[in-house]
Amino acid sequence: MLSVEDIKKTFTLSKKQMKIERTNDKKKVAVDHLSFEARRGEIYGLLGPNGAGKTTALRCISTLIKPDVGTIKVNGVDTTHHAAKVRENIAFLTSELKLDDHFTPNYLFRYFSALHNVEEQTMLERKKMLFNRFGIDQFQEVKIADLSTGMKQKISIAIALVHDPDFIIFDEPTNGLDILTAKTVIDYLLEMRDAGKGIIISTHILSVVEKLCDRVGIIIDGALKAEGTIDAVCQTHNHDTLEDVFFALMQDAKGDEHA
Amino acid sequence: MRNIWTVFKKEIYRVFSDRRLILTLFIMPGLAIFLIYSLMGNIIGAQETQVSEYEALIYTENMPAEIKTLMDESMHYRLYDGDALDQATSEQKVLEGELELVLLFDEDFTQKVEAYQTNSLPDIEVFYNQAEQRSLRAYNLFNGVLNHYHETTVIERLSEPSDYQVFDLQTQNIMDERAFAAQGFAMLLPMLIVIFLFAGAMSIGPDAIAGEKERGTIATLLVTPVQRRDIALGKVLSLSVLALLSALSSFIGVVLSLPNLMQMDDTMPDVSIYGMSDYLIILVLLMVMVLFIVAIIAAVSAYAKTIKEASMLIMPFYFLAMIVGVMNSFGGDVSHDVITHLIPIYGPVNLLSGMLRFEYQTVNFMVTVLSSLGYTVLLIALLNVMFKSERMMFQK
Repeated sequence: MLSVEDIKKTFTLSKKQMKIERTNDKKKVAVDHLSFEARRGEIYGLLGPNGAGKTTALRCISTLIKPDVGTIKVNGVDTTHHAAKVRENIAFLTSELKLDDHFTPNYLFRYFSALHNVEEQTMLERKKMLFNRFGIDQFQEVKIADLSTGMKQKISIAIALVHDPDFIIFDEPTNGLDILTAKTVIDYLLEMRDAGKGIIISTHILSVVEKLCDRVGIIIDGALKAEGTIDAVCQTHNHDTLEDVFFALMQDAKGDEHA
Repeated sequence: MRNIWTVFKKEIYRVFSDRRLILTLFIMPGLAIFLIYSLMGNIIGAQETQVSEYEALIYTENMPAEIKTLMDESMHYRLYDGDALDQATSEQKVLEGELELVLLFDEDFTQKVEAYQTNSLPDIEVFYNQAEQRSLRAYNLFNGVLNHYHETTVIERLSEPSDYQVFDLQTQNIMDERAFAAQGFAMLLPMLIVIFLFAGAMSIGPDAIAGEKERGTIATLLVTPVQRRDIALGKVLSLSVLALLSALSSFIGVVLSLPNLMQMDDTMPDVSIYGMSDYLIILVLLMVMVLFIVAIIAAVSAYAKTIKEASMLIMPFYFLAMIVGVMNSFGGDVSHDVITHLIPIYGPVNLLSGMLRFEYQTVNFMVTVLSSLGYTVLLIALLNVMFKSERMMFQK
């Protein structure tokens, strides 16, 4: 179980950022008392517009940043006080490429396996399985710089999963991917879910949520506005589709802003 | 420890798996320095030979035979054999480098010297061009001739020539060639070493840390269970080894080109004047210096958002290190004050300079090494804090 309990995250804006955001406030509340739970064997989707606080929430969960208040627990372990222990059980991925061009997939897999304390034999088995699953085999000794964007993304996923974590946190999983790679990623996430992994994704693409997520949380201005299965969310808000719910909530948020 | 080693190996592999990086980090510095310094040495040598062997062209009027004889004995020259020149033209020719020297003697110069009338001293007018090396050299040689002529003339005028002699001067150059060579090394090498170490570290440090931030790979690293301190140590140690190897390449370039650069001949002592223990001390000093330099560069790189920003922010530290090097080279004696050995970079450079001059004190060595390591530990602690800082790691 991964639980997020009433977390709040505020950033201090630089003058440049204040200018970009067109605000006089030096503080920006990125995540505002957010709570939800994600379970193993399900895909939980955080749906929200750009700047809603999805990435900040996922970064808090993945221990890269700490929430100002509130607690996050992964398998009962607190992310703020036992970050290293939590990192053993999570993988964090983003759609932005995060690989060093100078290395080969093979080297990076070994490197991150070593950092995650994965035994040699286990590492070899994981590598064989993941490289085979993502079609990386024939490129394992090619430098990242010489690979296609789609292949880089697949390698990023394989490397993030070296330690076979219980929870996979994926920020915008299909962003910028071609159709084939996006399908590979989606299929793999579904496979992982069926294998009992807990998956949390953030996205602003409704079709991804509809295709992938067992439960969804709609986040606007850092706060959770709706949560549940897609059917339950539609039912609660009296709309036929998730798209209608989303736009209605966005409209409400805009109304609150102008009020 | 295992994680430090893993990070260390990755950074080393990153460089050694890339031919271009090997070329730019380890081959080019030494090769470029060797070629540049050898070329400089050759040019300086050729210039000196050219000037010393050059036959100065001199225009003269009424030159006395005694002076001409003295000139024949002590300088290469030939007399201008064209038409007589007026003063303005001859001055112009000196200015334009067509003539090296113009010497105008009074018509009755010798008679006046022999007449020995103080109210009617004979004139010599000399024109030379200080901006022209050949002219200046011809003038200096002629001055020597004139001094000699002056001295012999005065002695001849005295009734008792021995009265002219005030003392018996016996000069012997008892120079210790080893100490003389050591002084040359002490002036040149610490400055070059600190510059090379800094340059080597600068060429890889920003990419290893600011580059990880810029590329976004730092998040992948920070989400592993590895402690930030281990990442910091792994980076600093690997960068230190790489910077040391890069500096070594430059150093080899210097050592190989030194005989040419300093116009040393086979009889002069070379770097073999230092023994094994001296080299060991140099190695320890290099290591503590490189650790400190890399730690500074790592901290600055962790603060910067991009490689470009990191390279820019490191420049003031580089200039400071260069100033310390230059101060050591041209600042005179080595300081033996313990306090000065506590100053980062300056302490090790000063000690290195003293060591190369064979003026070495164990207490200062200990103070330098321990203080430099202390500063490095503080910087690594700072780096650890920076790696933990959300603002430093993720703010764009």
